[in-house]
Amino acid sequence: MGYCGEGAPEKAKLMALLEVHNLTKYFGGLKANEDISFSIKKEELVGLIGPNGAGKTTLFNCIAGLYPVSSGKIIFSGHDITALKDYEVARLGLARTFQVYVASGDMTVVENIMVGCFMRTRSRSQAKTRAEQIMKDFKLHDLSDYILSELPVASQKQVAIAAAVGTDPKMLLLDEVAAGLNPSEIEDIMATIQHIHYNMEITVMLIEHVMELVMKISDRVIVLDSGQKIADGNPETIARDPNVVKAYLGERYVHEHAGELT
Amino acid sequence: MEALSSALDFSDFPRLDMIIAGVLGGLLVIFPATPHSAFAMATMIQFLMFSLYGMGWNTIGGYGGQVDLGKAQYVGIGAFTTAVLMVRWDVPFWVSMPIGVCFAVIWSFIIGYPLFRLKGHYFAIATIATSLVLKDIFEVWDFVGAACGIEISPIKYNPPDFLHLIFKEDIYYYYVILGFFFLGILYVNWFRKSRLGFQLRSIKDNEEVAKSLGINVHWAKIKTYAIATSFVSVVGSFHACYIKNIEPEDTMSLDISILIALMAMLGGAGSLWGPIIGAGVLIPLKSYLKEWLGARAGLIGIDLIVYGAIIMLVSAVEPRGIWGIVEKVRRRKRN
Repeated sequence: MGYCGEGAPEKAKLMALLEVHNLTKYFGGLKANEDISFSIKKEELVGLIGPNGAGKTTLFNCIAGLYPVSSGKIIFSGHDITALKDYEVARLGLARTFQVYVASGDMTVVENIMVGCFMRTRSRSQAKTRAEQIMKDFKLHDLSDYILSELPVASQKQVAIAAAVGTDPKMLLLDEVAAGLNPSEIEDIMATIQHIHYNMEITVMLIEHVMELVMKISDRVIVLDSGQKIADGNPETIARDPNVVKAYLGERYVHEHAGELT
Repeated sequence: MEALSSALDFSDFPRLDMIIAGVLGGLLVIFPATPHSAFAMATMIQFLMFSLYGMGWNTIGGYGGQVDLGKAQYVGIGAFTTAVLMVRWDVPFWVSMPIGVCFAVIWSFIIGYPLFRLKGHYFAIATIATSLVLKDIFEVWDFVGAACGIEISPIKYNPPDFLHLIFKEDIYYYYVILGFFFLGILYVNWFRKSRLGFQLRSIKDNEEVAKSLGINVHWAKIKTYAIATSFVSVVGSFHACYIKNIEPEDTMSLDISILIALMAMLGGAGSLWGPIIGAGVLIPLKSYLKEWLGARAGLIGIDLIVYGAIIMLVSAVEPRGIWGIVEKVRRRKRN
């Protein structure tokens, strides 16, 4: 499943999987992303946070090829993906999920995941075998034949992630997978993300508003505010960064977690 | 090989469905042996033809959710290719039919490429427009007989002529179209389980998600549109040999396009049996309405009113048609 298993050369581990150079995105006169640069290594799990309207989803959409960038450069796994379309980016191994994903239609859970699996194979039986394996990993096999749109949001999000994993990606961009979920569902989705990252060895970058989740599982956190990158570091440093506290976390979080942070 | 076994594999349907389908299929095979009127035979041939049109429409319109109201143009391309080749150069049906499919597919690429930049109602309207434009072109194009159309004269042939598909009795036509009908079912049965079928259903659900799963949405739609077109064009070619006297006004009218889409929607868009059920309901209804009501002065056009009412009813009650109702009832029973 993993691309760089035990035998992978040490060099590959040191090289960044995703590099974003001076990315800028305008919508008309509105600057949604301004001069953003960062890189993500293969073994990292990176959180992307920032207040509403900070440009997080726009950044994801630019990386994933949904929006053309205004200027800047995006390198993924050695390929320049700046000008590629979204499906071409996906085929290179950069998968994503959507913030607002409302399933419609009559496809079952297993069929939804098979769509992802069909990216790497023409054979229905191969796609099905792989989808069943993923459902087992994600503990979704009980739901296999349910119509996706009739399931609760939490399950729909799990299936959306499973379908993205079905494309056998090197990296996964998760856009607010925990939004609107209750605490026990958040636990489940956190376990899923950790499973994807540690067992399946997929690099993960996630946008998240649920601080408990993002601070707990991220190796590194990037903070956007008003379209600019204002901080980049490990969760502890970020939580203490005065700029970040001011822009986003609020004094309350710092106060509550004062003990943990020091 | 996998494709063939997939086409022959109906095991995901409940056993009851398979028994019903088997019995009905058997009845279709023995129908000509039972006592029947010429009118019933003509209606059955119409039913099989429109089932095939509907199956073709269903690939792009049902599984893909792209409401296409311009299928009549491909009926015309198929029919006129066969008729022109036959009348001018005496080309057999089995040669002219694939040539017609090629023309239709080329035309479908030419108009599909720009048209699939549009979505929803805009796409539907654009397909109507292209179909009407092509009809108008055919109506002034002398090479294909212009508005008078073209007539295949059976006198030249010695029926039953299986090469040119010229027969005296309708029973031959019936079995030819029945063969295409069974092939069509097998093809759609393969299609719905193929990668392209899954991609189309995913596109219908949500195009952005489909793209994020590596699907080239535009190309997948164009490919499927060409498949739908091939179905329609084949039956169009058959139509030319069967009717023998084709005019753009009859073969390429908006009525045909709407009827094709309507049948699939009434029966159940995006299901294997939907178009067949839809044709099974609408074609007899259409024939009898025309026969009984149409002949009475003052009631001409009442069939159009009935179609309109059906469209409204389907979209209000169950957008997934008769088959959608069947599935809903089943699921409720299971839970």
